[in-house]
Amino acid sequence: MLLSKAGVTAMLGLATLYTLLPLTWLLLSSTKSREDLFGTNGFALGGETHLAANLSHLFAADGGVYVRWLINTVLYAGVGALLASVFGVAAGYAFDKLTFPGKERLFSLVLLGVMVPGTAMAIPLYLLAAKAGLVNTFWGVFIPGLVFPFGVYLARVFSASYVPDEVLEAARMDGASEFRTFCRIAFPMIAPGFVTIFLFQFTQIWNSFFLPLVMLSDQDLYPVNLGLYVWYSSALTQGHPEDYLLAVVGSLVAVAPLIAVFLMLQRFWKSGMTAGAVK
Amino acid sequence: MLRRTTAALACSVTALALLATACGGEADQGALPAPGKTGEVTFWSFVKGSDKVAAAFNRSHPDIKVTFETVPSGQEYYSKLTNAVKAGTAPDVAVVEYPHLPEFAAQGKIEDLSGSLGPVVKERFPEAARQLVNLGDRTWAVPRDAAPLMMMYRKDFFTRHKIDVPTTWDAYRNMTEQVKKADPAARGGVLYTDNPGLLSALSWQAGGQWFSAGKDSWKVTVDDAPSKKVAAYWGDLARKDLVRPLSQLDPFWTSVQKGRTVAYVCASWCAGAHQATVPDQKGKWAVASVPTWDGKPASAMYGGSSFVIPKGADNSGAAAEFIKWITTDPEGMKAWVSSGTSSMFPADPKLVPVTKAAFATDYFGGQDIYSLMSRSYDAIRPGWTWGPVMGATNTAIVDQLPKVADGTVTLPGVLSTAEQATVAQMKQRGLTVTAP
Repeated sequence: MLLSKAGVTAMLGLATLYTLLPLTWLLLSSTKSREDLFGTNGFALGGETHLAANLSHLFAADGGVYVRWLINTVLYAGVGALLASVFGVAAGYAFDKLTFPGKERLFSLVLLGVMVPGTAMAIPLYLLAAKAGLVNTFWGVFIPGLVFPFGVYLARVFSASYVPDEVLEAARMDGASEFRTFCRIAFPMIAPGFVTIFLFQFTQIWNSFFLPLVMLSDQDLYPVNLGLYVWYSSALTQGHPEDYLLAVVGSLVAVAPLIAVFLMLQRFWKSGMTAGAVK
Repeated sequence: MLRRTTAALACSVTALALLATACGGEADQGALPAPGKTGEVTFWSFVKGSDKVAAAFNRSHPDIKVTFETVPSGQEYYSKLTNAVKAGTAPDVAVVEYPHLPEFAAQGKIEDLSGSLGPVVKERFPEAARQLVNLGDRTWAVPRDAAPLMMMYRKDFFTRHKIDVPTTWDAYRNMTEQVKKADPAARGGVLYTDNPGLLSALSWQAGGQWFSAGKDSWKVTVDDAPSKKVAAYWGDLARKDLVRPLSQLDPFWTSVQKGRTVAYVCASWCAGAHQATVPDQKGKWAVASVPTWDGKPASAMYGGSSFVIPKGADNSGAAAEFIKWITTDPEGMKAWVSSGTSSMFPADPKLVPVTKAAFATDYFGGQDIYSLMSRSYDAIRPGWTWGPVMGATNTAIVDQLPKVADGTVTLPGVLSTAEQATVAQMKQRGLTVTAP
């Protein structure tokens, strides 16, 4: 035994602190007035509780633009990840179960896509979008979110481990079409994998920053992280410190849905992770 | 399209030759028939009051419709603008802070305004502002605000502990010692760990000259003697714990709010930012001239912004009209400061009464801070030019700044490192560097 039980516990404790301390700061700071934000310890309560006032200020600021940003983010990340996962699972299933010419070569292309980090793609995507007239439109950010090569790769692994060939054989014998077989038989069997892929892509789009930054200029199209960054980046340097508090409270409201999604879907996530791991 | 790309490529390789001739001629508005001064103008800015100034312009100019779009500030904004020009989706008017202007001009990313707005710049702005927007005998932007240096200090603290307001840097050092003695938690200054702007401003004030542009080459002397003197001075103060190394964001404001920073060097706009950020210290602060090395007035700029027309703008005629209005028209200036909380100092001296009237100074006990700023503006040292790769220069400095206080690096050493990084980056871009 290299690590004692106490050692492991201490390490886990550190990791927990590392995760929870910023959240604690965020939670406490969101309840403070601006004077208290700068005047009191970050891990102590302020003189008075301002959470309600801060929240109403947040939702009223700039004509309620924050709600728009939240809706945009749900569309970009939620709907985008949902469609990306559907495409990913369908493609992964096809790569696993079907035979077609150039299959492995195409699959290596997918793997190539896995290797290229999303940020490196932002500028080429932007230049393409400029040619297609999609700059500063909803689609400029939404469409790139539909492509998720790592999801295709995962789906192929899931399909291989969850969907026995015999089941498909039986379905075909009973006269089901390929599409029907996929929808009614294979898809439900890959469902936990589907959730895993969805969560991966959901967080990826939720966190994507550089692409919306270059793609969008109309504030009404911003996802929430970009909007918060606009508030944060100019609040103290441009002399409107009230925006700084907005960015703090806005961050708290913005992480809440992520936490909710993960708590709701974590059992799928866990089963999906282990299934991928053994293959 | 291909031809334009090739041309753009050629531009970026021939740095200064371009500033003087090459690509500038392509976009010379003066040579073309005057474009219409109507239609739609898109406008990118992060400067406070931009929404108000666009709305006011639209009200008084029914033929032009300006659409304002908020952008984040900082390096991200400049990469966004660069890429927008590359993709042909640039706005018609954009804000660019002075330090970044030569980079955009040298890369051929902005229109040469010599024909359209050059005469306005020449007529309305003093040399201190002109030197920042004119490069290679061409005008690339119109200044909005100057940001002459000042010093902010806690008047109550200074009076209570009988500390004199320093007018020289020697006296400033004594002041920081007195402050620390009077209150061990308080400091009389700050060394920003994430912002190189003040260090360059103080080098400028001391007579340093980081860059100079020749006919088709650059001289890079970031660690010249005056700048090294400034760096050694501040590095020493930081190592002796007489000024505190702090991030300019909430750590700095926390120290002000808690009474741990009782004096700091800043610029004109800081008065407004200060009173907005720590409103409950009303009446405790005052503004003074920035200390100098020899006691004679000398100043420089820390901040300030100008407006450009990016290459590929659809409506340069109306854009020029808009830029002229927001930088030189009293009504335009009034719109910028209509919130009443901005202590911005207009680069056009004729407009000073407008901003002065809009900024109530009761926070500073009714002190006449605008005459102080005017004196500082007049004392700005001539001959300062920002470099063509300021992003790289600034990054090189900021990477090292946090290590100054604990003695891992020396501040003059940081300047030397920054100089090497700058020269390397310039050579990579194909710019000719003659010195060092």
